[in-house]
Amino acid sequence: MAADDIPLDDKAKRMRDLLSSFYAPDPSTASNTSSKYVSLDAINTTSFDADQYMILLAQKSNLEGLLQRHVEMAAEIKNLDTDLQMLVYENYNKFISATETIKRMKNNIVGMEANMEQLLEKIMSVQSRSDGVNTSLFEKREHIEKLHRTRNLLRKVQFIYDLPTRLGKCIKSEAYADAVRFYTGAMPIFEAYGDSSFQDCKRASEEAMSIIIKNLQEKVCLDSESVQVRAEAVVLLKQLNFQVDSLKAKLLETLEKYLITLQLNSRAISTTSLDSDEPSKQGSSSDALPGTAHEAVHAYRLIFPDSEDQLIKLAQDLVTKHFESTQQQIRKQISSSDLVGILRVIWTDVLLMEEVLPEAALSDFSLEAAHVAVKQYVASTFSNLLLNVSDALTKVQTKQKEGAGEEHPLQVSLEGSKKAVIQGSMAILLDFRQLLDDNLGLLVKLRDFIIDWVQEGFQDFFRRLDDQFLSLSGKNHSISEHQGLTEGTQGEKFLAGLVLVLAQLSVFIEQSAIPRITEEIAASFSGGGVRGYENGPAFVPGEICRIFRSAGEKFLHLYINMRTQKISVLLRKRFTTPNWVKHKEPREVHMFVDLFLQELEAIGTEVKQILPQGLHRKHHRTDSNGSTTSSRSNPLRDDKITRSNTQRARSQLLESHLAKLFKQKMEIFTKVEYTQESVVTTVVKLCLKSLHEFVRLQTFNRSGLQQIQLDIQFLRAPLKEIVEDEAAIDFLLDEVIVSAAERCLDPIPLEPPILDKLIQAKLAKTKEQTAVSS
Amino acid sequence: MQGGSSGIGYGLKYQARCIADVKADTDHTSFITGTLSLKEENEVHLIRLSSGGTELICEGLFSHPNEIWDLASCPYDQRIFSTVFSSGESYGAAVWQIPELYGQLNSPQLERIAVLDAHACKIKCVLWWPSGRHDKLVSIDDENLFLWSLDSSRKASQVISKESAGMLHYLSGGAWDPHDVNAVASTCEWSIQFWDLRTMKKTNSIEHAHVRNADYDTKKKHILVTAEDESGICIWDLRMPKVPIKELPGHTHWTWTVKCNPEYGLILVLSLSLTYTQTLIYEIWKTRYLYSSSGLA
Repeated sequence: MAADDIPLDDKAKRMRDLLSSFYAPDPSTASNTSSKYVSLDAINTTSFDADQYMILLAQKSNLEGLLQRHVEMAAEIKNLDTDLQMLVYENYNKFISATETIKRMKNNIVGMEANMEQLLEKIMSVQSRSDGVNTSLFEKREHIEKLHRTRNLLRKVQFIYDLPTRLGKCIKSEAYADAVRFYTGAMPIFEAYGDSSFQDCKRASEEAMSIIIKNLQEKVCLDSESVQVRAEAVVLLKQLNFQVDSLKAKLLETLEKYLITLQLNSRAISTTSLDSDEPSKQGSSSDALPGTAHEAVHAYRLIFPDSEDQLIKLAQDLVTKHFESTQQQIRKQISSSDLVGILRVIWTDVLLMEEVLPEAALSDFSLEAAHVAVKQYVASTFSNLLLNVSDALTKVQTKQKEGAGEEHPLQVSLEGSKKAVIQGSMAILLDFRQLLDDNLGLLVKLRDFIIDWVQEGFQDFFRRLDDQFLSLSGKNHSISEHQGLTEGTQGEKFLAGLVLVLAQLSVFIEQSAIPRITEEIAASFSGGGVRGYENGPAFVPGEICRIFRSAGEKFLHLYINMRTQKISVLLRKRFTTPNWVKHKEPREVHMFVDLFLQELEAIGTEVKQILPQGLHRKHHRTDSNGSTTSSRSNPLRDDKITRSNTQRARSQLLESHLAKLFKQKMEIFTKVEYTQESVVTTVVKLCLKSLHEFVRLQTFNRSGLQQIQLDIQFLRAPLKEIVEDEAAIDFLLDEVIVSAAERCLDPIPLEPPILDKLIQAKLAKTKEQTAVSS
Repeated sequence: MQGGSSGIGYGLKYQARCIADVKADTDHTSFITGTLSLKEENEVHLIRLSSGGTELICEGLFSHPNEIWDLASCPYDQRIFSTVFSSGESYGAAVWQIPELYGQLNSPQLERIAVLDAHACKIKCVLWWPSGRHDKLVSIDDENLFLWSLDSSRKASQVISKESAGMLHYLSGGAWDPHDVNAVASTCEWSIQFWDLRTMKKTNSIEHAHVRNADYDTKKKHILVTAEDESGICIWDLRMPKVPIKELPGHTHWTWTVKCNPEYGLILVLSLSLTYTQTLIYEIWKTRYLYSSSGLA
């Protein structure tokens, strides 16, 4: 009601606004709406219009309601009044208590300042006291610190002064590591003051250190020390800035020497074992060998960890030297088991080295070296074989020259060389088999190569053998001339024999040796494969067979040629020397016939030693039994004599011409076979042909013709005796007589009785001569 | 023998030992040959290959007083040739001329131009200056070598120089080097000797046995072919006289004559060993093959 009635001054209005703003949720809306929407409930809003409210109330409610309302309102006003009263009171109470508190505070504060000043005073005095203590203690503390430092310094100085003795003690107790530690610790001081204050001390300790260094060096060099000790010593030396390199070099040198002596030993051992032929001994000694070498290298490597390069070089040198000595051994013609032994020694050595020194790739290196060595071995074996064969061939010849001739030198030579070829080849194959069968790693790797080498070796060997044969046979002109000049007839004679031996030997190689070797190679040396398929196998037996077949034929022909040429010289002399036109009557068979037969006989003995007998031989023997009887009473021959006797020259010529035309069909020069008879027959045929040609070059008088007739007639029987083709010989002999008659100015042949008589005389004479000589 | 199958034959009445091509006849391929008969009358045949090359025609037939051992045609006059002949006991050599118009005469007689009568022993062969008009001849007997000067117009011959081959050398034949007209090769029992005609001295020799005949290769210098008694034919390079550069095997017996083909560089080998009424061209060796195989090509 008071709010309604009493005009509100500013203060009150502000109060009200504040209150209403405090209580009203939305003052603006209330004030805005208050004019328009006035309700009975708007009594609590700020925009409450008492008049309006009165009007509204009066309009809306009846009297009773108004009264009730009046009562309610009066109650509410009363309540509000008491609430207000309460609030004011409470407020007042609070004011009072606050004032009281303030009053009490005021009273309390009054004594505080004095206390505070007291406190300050006390604190000030404490501070001044502590300052005093501090200053009084400072000097002493500094002194103590100084003393402490001096003490430390003194301790160090003491240490340095003690160093020599300490080092001495260390030397005594061999505690070099400690000594080095001490010394290196003292080093900076020595470096700083060594020239002035600690001169003596430095000198003494340096002396001690030099002893230590010396000892260490000795230790390093001493083989009896354990490797670790030596390695430590090297480390210590390095710490002392000692030049290890020189030591290293020195040690390397000793190592090298050591290895070389080792190797020398091994060589000595292997040679002695070779000499004494005790492989077991060699094995045992060689087992001991490699270990030491590789241990030495290993130790060195431990001692000098950064020395691979030198060691690799050293190891490779070692292997190279090994193989060099091996090659020397190979040059001494060792057997393959020995070679395997040597290779095994080297290989175990290499394997051990490889373990110690994997960087060196020693196995590859030694594989290469072994490659060379084994190849050389194969080559040298083959050249030895070649040498053996040619030795076997020429041995007999030299023996013959010395006068210790055997009965069948050619046969001995042939058998010897045959043996040399076949047994030598077999021995070589056996030898190489050992190489192949051995399971040594080195050899297993080289297996294919070895197979190829062996095959190539045989191929090459036979080719060279062929060349050798050729040069032996004197196909090489310079040699034959040389021999011919120096050795004279003996040498020439033997050379012919040698050629015959070569011929038969070639046949033997072609027919027996090659198949056997081929078989052997196929059995154990097949599948080399390194050469590749396009090249085929290295050993081509077909080619070798071909070479030797042709060589055999060549030598056989050469032999025949040599022999024929010799006889040809004889015949040439016989026919060119006399003046045939003024020839005297024949009194006896000319002596060239004897020489001719002698030569044939010599050929016969040579041929019999070397060549097999032909199949037809027996047959001919039975035909003509006994030489003397046949020469006298062969009906066929007698018939011929009578015929040639009775017919006169002209008609005889014509007839012989005609006969020849038909006879011509006969092959005079048939293929030479490797039989005694075939060779002798060919020689005889060729000689008779030459005789024939020589006759054709001359002009004869009657006596000359008769002499030829006589000689030829005498030849007939002995020649038939030794040849297989009697018809051809007859033909050729007839031809000679016919030609002589053609070239004769007065072709009247000798009467058969005279002819017979002269021949008989000659036969008797030869018989007599043989009787005298025997 | 296989060479004869496609050959052309010409029959002589008697056996013959020699045949020579007529080099001076440049229009035709002609040969001259003479028979060797001790007792019959010997003949000289002039043969010409027909233009078709299928036939051998006898161009002339002349009687010769003795058996002919060697015959050589003059290189500059086709009507002149030389013979070496024997009358059984004695030997002689002469230069003959075929008469002009010989085809029209009934029985033409050979005209003897000169007699090479300085020989004392068995004459082996007469060599003409290799080519061109030169009046020089070389005759070889058992022991000596004669150089003759021939004057065909004056019908006279004269010995210019003479040299003995030395003791124990029985000369058997010879050849005049077409590349070096001062060089003559002579064959004997144990060697081939080379002579310089200017000095008549021996310049060189090859030690080789039983050489019967030799001929120079007309195309290649320094190449000499020899035939031997014992079936050998060798080709030599005279710059390397130690060893023959090639040996030709295949003959079974004596080879009497070798000739080099002047046009094609082929070597003809005449082997008279089997029969003596025929001459057999035994085999023809291709020299091209030989040179390539001996490294001279």
